[in-house]
Amino acid sequence: MIALLFVIGLIFLCIGIGLPLVTIQRDSRYLRTLSACCTVMASVLLSIAAAALIFMGGSAAFTLWQIAPGITLSFALDRLSSVFILIIALVSGCVAIYSTEYVEHLEGGSRRNLLCGCTNLFILAMVLVVASAGTLPFLLFWELMAGASFFLVMYDYTTPEVRKAGIFYLVMTQFSTLFILAGVIALFAITGSFEFSRMGGAAGMAGTMVFVFLFLGFSIKAGIVPFHKWLPYAHPASPSPISALMSGVMLKIAIYGLIRFLIAVFTPDLLQGLLILAAGIASAVLGIIYALKERDLKGMLAFSSIENIGIIFTGIGLYVIFQATGHDVLAVISLAAALFHSLNHALIKSLLFLTSGSVIHASHTRDIERMGGLSHRMPYTSALFFCGALAISALPPLNGFASELLIYIAFFSSIGALDPLLKILLILGLALFALASALCAACFVKTFGSVFLAQPRSEECQSAREVPGAMIAGPALLASGCVILGLLPLQFLELAGYPIPLFPNMLLIGILLLAMYGFSWMILRAVSHEPIRICPTWGCGYVTQRPAFEYTGEGFSEPVARIFSSIYRTQVQNEGTFADQKNCLFLEGRGGLHLMKIFEEYLYLPIAGFTYRTASLVSRFQNGCLDTYLLYVFCTVLGLILFLGVIA
Amino acid sequence: MIPEVILYCSINMLCIVAIAPLFVSLIRKVKAWTQGRRGPSIFQTYSSLAKLVRKEVLYSHDSSRIMRVTPWVNIAAMLVAALFVPLVFVPVPFEGIGNIILFLYLMAVAKFFTALSGLDAGSSFGGMGSSREMSISAVIEPTTIIVFAALALVFKSLNIFDMVAASATEGLAHNPELILIGISLFIILIVETSRIPVDNPETHLELTMIHEGMILEQSGRNLALLELSSALRLTILMALLINIVAPLGVITTLTVAGLAIAAILFAVKSIILCGAIGIFESSMAKMRFFKIPGLFAMAFFFSTITIIIEVLS
Repeated sequence: MIALLFVIGLIFLCIGIGLPLVTIQRDSRYLRTLSACCTVMASVLLSIAAAALIFMGGSAAFTLWQIAPGITLSFALDRLSSVFILIIALVSGCVAIYSTEYVEHLEGGSRRNLLCGCTNLFILAMVLVVASAGTLPFLLFWELMAGASFFLVMYDYTTPEVRKAGIFYLVMTQFSTLFILAGVIALFAITGSFEFSRMGGAAGMAGTMVFVFLFLGFSIKAGIVPFHKWLPYAHPASPSPISALMSGVMLKIAIYGLIRFLIAVFTPDLLQGLLILAAGIASAVLGIIYALKERDLKGMLAFSSIENIGIIFTGIGLYVIFQATGHDVLAVISLAAALFHSLNHALIKSLLFLTSGSVIHASHTRDIERMGGLSHRMPYTSALFFCGALAISALPPLNGFASELLIYIAFFSSIGALDPLLKILLILGLALFALASALCAACFVKTFGSVFLAQPRSEECQSAREVPGAMIAGPALLASGCVILGLLPLQFLELAGYPIPLFPNMLLIGILLLAMYGFSWMILRAVSHEPIRICPTWGCGYVTQRPAFEYTGEGFSEPVARIFSSIYRTQVQNEGTFADQKNCLFLEGRGGLHLMKIFEEYLYLPIAGFTYRTASLVSRFQNGCLDTYLLYVFCTVLGLILFLGVIA
Repeated sequence: MIPEVILYCSINMLCIVAIAPLFVSLIRKVKAWTQGRRGPSIFQTYSSLAKLVRKEVLYSHDSSRIMRVTPWVNIAAMLVAALFVPLVFVPVPFEGIGNIILFLYLMAVAKFFTALSGLDAGSSFGGMGSSREMSISAVIEPTTIIVFAALALVFKSLNIFDMVAASATEGLAHNPELILIGISLFIILIVETSRIPVDNPETHLELTMIHEGMILEQSGRNLALLELSSALRLTILMALLINIVAPLGVITTLTVAGLAIAAILFAVKSIILCGAIGIFESSMAKMRFFKIPGLFAMAFFFSTITIIIEVLS
C-alpha cells in the first residue's frame, strides 16, 4: 500500500519532468503550471506515505531493476528514510506553489520550461537517493541530484558571476561524490556487498579509512566548515525556489547519507563522534559569525544554513558519543534532535529563501543595505519572513526552539553522565553552541531590521509592491508548519515513539503567552483611554528624518565584528602619495578594509593551484600528432606484456 | 494537584508584578544615599508608571507593527517567565513549567522584540541601542548557559522548581560551590538588567545608553509596559539568585506560619540584595563597551570552575 503510494508519487514527478521538456519549444505558462501541479500531487502522496511509515512503523521495499546478480536498483523505505522523504515532500510542494508565480517573472522565455522540468528531476533524484536500499542506486541518484542541481544553479548562465558560482559548485559536488565513491568501493572490498542491510561491522584501520572518506564526502555536500565555500556562491546565484530546495532539502540529503552509513556500517566510536561534534560546533559558530557580516541577503541565508547544518552535526556527534559510551536514552534524544532539526531547518530555511526571493523580486537588489521600509509595502511577505526569523533564532514557541531545546537537554544531561575529560570537552561545546544560538538572534534582528523596518534606502525599495498570491501561499504553508511543529513538538515526538522526558509542553507555553498578552491588553485598555498620535521620529534636532540617518546593517554588526575581529581577519590597506620623502605631507591616497577570504586563500587556492600545475604537466603528453599516440599505445601494450610476464 | 499549582503560580506571578517597581525604586534609593542625595520616595516607580499609563501614545510615521506589539510581547514573556521562579513556596513542577532553558529563551524573546523595535522608527539612537544590546547578549550567552549547566549539574535537574527545592532542603553547606555560581549569577543579573558597569539605566546620553536607547521612541502606556517588564526582569532574576544561593526559609509544604516566615525572610534577603546592587553600581564607573567581554570572562571562569569542582568531586 505504502509502496504503491510512493510509486504513484514518483510517476507524478516523472510526468512533471516530461511535460515541460517534451514541448521545450513552446513558452507556455499552462504547461509549467501543470508541471508544478504534478509536483504538488507527488508531494502530497509522498508525505502521506512517509508520515504513515514514521507514525505507524513498518517498512516498504521493492526492486526496480535487476541489472546483474548482486547488482540491483532496489529501494527500501524505513522510518529513517521516511523522515527525509517527508522533508523533501513538504518543502518541494510549497516551493512548487511558490514557483508557479515566481518562474513567470523570470527572464528566459522557453528556458523556463527547462527550469520546471529540471526542478522535478532534482526532486525525483533526491527522493530516490533517500529511498535507495544499497550503495549503488545511492551513488547513481546522488550524481543525478548533483547534475540536476548544477543545471538549476546555472539557470541564469549569461552572468559571469553565476557561471563562476556554478563551476565552483560543480567542482565541490564532484569532490563530494569522489570521496563517497571511494568510501563505497572500500566498503565493497571489506564487506563484499552493496546492500545497506549487509554492510555492518566495518572496524579497524579499514573501517576508519572508510569513515574518513564518507565523512569528507558528506561534509562537502552539507557545507561543513572548511568545505562550505560553495554555499554562499551557489545560493545567491540560483533562482530563489532553487536556493530554497538546495538549502532546505539537498543539504539534508547529505545529513541522511551520514546518518544512514553511521547506522548501517559503523560500530559507534568515540573519536568519530568527537570529530563530527567538533565539525558541527565549528560550522555553527563560524557560519553564523560570517553570516553577520554578509551584505547579500541570500548569501547571509546561505551562511545561516552552514550554522544550522552545524547544529544538526552537533546532534549526530552527540548521538555517536552517547552510543559509544553506552547511554542509549541520551543517544536517542540526540538523534531525535538531529532529525527534528533537519525537518525544522528545512521548513524555516525554505520559508526564508522564498520570502527573500519575493523581497529581491520586489526591490531588485540583493544588498541588505539598499533595502528598508518593506514592512509597509509588503505586509504579508514581511510577516512571513518575521515568522521565519523568529523560528531560526530559536525563540519559543516556534519549531527552531523545540529542536535546539532537545540538543540542550542532551548536552545538559550528558554533563552528569560521562567521564571527566569528555565532560569538559562537552561543556566547551555547549558554550560555543550557545554562542552560535545567540549570534543567530543578533544576525536576524539585523537582517529583519535592515530589510523591513524604518525607511527605504533606495528608489526601488520606495516603489516596491506586495507579490502575487501564489508567492505568499507557498511560504504561508511553510510558516504554518513552523508554528504547528513549534507548538506540538512533544506530541509529535510521542506519536513517533520518542517520548522525551524533561521536555516542556510547548502548547501550554504558547497558550500562556497568548493569555498573558490578552490579559495585559485588556487591563491596560480598561485603565488607559488616551488617544494614539502619529508623528515623525525624533530627529535629534534635525527637522526631517532621512534614510541616511538610520543605523545600517554594517553598523549594527560592527560591535560583534570588533569583538570577534581575530576570526574575521580584516585587512587594512592604506596607500598614499606624499609631498616629501619622510611621508609627512600627505597629498592624496586611499584606504580600505577588506574581509580576508581565509579558506579560499589558504585552502582552496593551494589545492586548485597544485591540480592546475599537475594537469599542465600531464597535458604535455597531448601533442595532437597521431604518430605519438600510436607510440603511446605501443608502449602501453609492451609494458602490459612485460608486467604480465613478470607476474606469471 | 494541578489546579492548586496553577493557582499558586498565578499568585506568585501577581506578587512579582506587585513588588517589581518597589525593587527598582529601592535600588535607586540606595544609589542616591551612596551619592549623598535623599533620592525619590521608594514608591516613585509606581507613580511614574501610573502617570505614563495616562499619557498619549506616539508612533513614528515609519514605524511598523513591531513597534506596536513589542510592549505586549515583552510583558507577556516576562509574566510567563515569572511563573517559572518561585518566591517563597516551591510546588511540584508540571508540564515543563520551570524549565530553565525555556526560561532563558523567554527572556530572549523579549530582547529580540525590543531590539527590533529599536530599529523600527529609523532613529540612530534606537539602532545603536539594539546593536549593542544584541552584541552583549550574544557574548554573555555562553556564560549564562554554563552557569545554568552548572546549576543543572549541582542539583541534577533542569527545572528551576526542583533546583530551589533541592537547595532549600540541602542548604549551602551541602553545596558550597553555589557561592561561585552566585558570583556568576550576580554578573548575569547586572548584565541582563542593563546596569552599571554594562549599561546605565539612568542616563540618556548616546555614548552610554543601551536599553534606554532601544525604547527611546516608546511613549505612554507602551513605555509603562516596557518599564514594568524590565522591572519584572530584575525581580525575577533577583528571586532566582536569592532562592538558589540563599534559600533559607523557602518552604516545600504549604503552611500558614511557614508562608509568613518565608515571606518575611524573602523581603529581608531581597532588601539586602537591592542594597548590594545599589552599592555595586555606585562603586563603579560605566565600562568601555569593548571592555565588557572581560567581565563576562570572569563569570564564565567561575562557572566553569564550579563545573570542574563538581565533576572531579
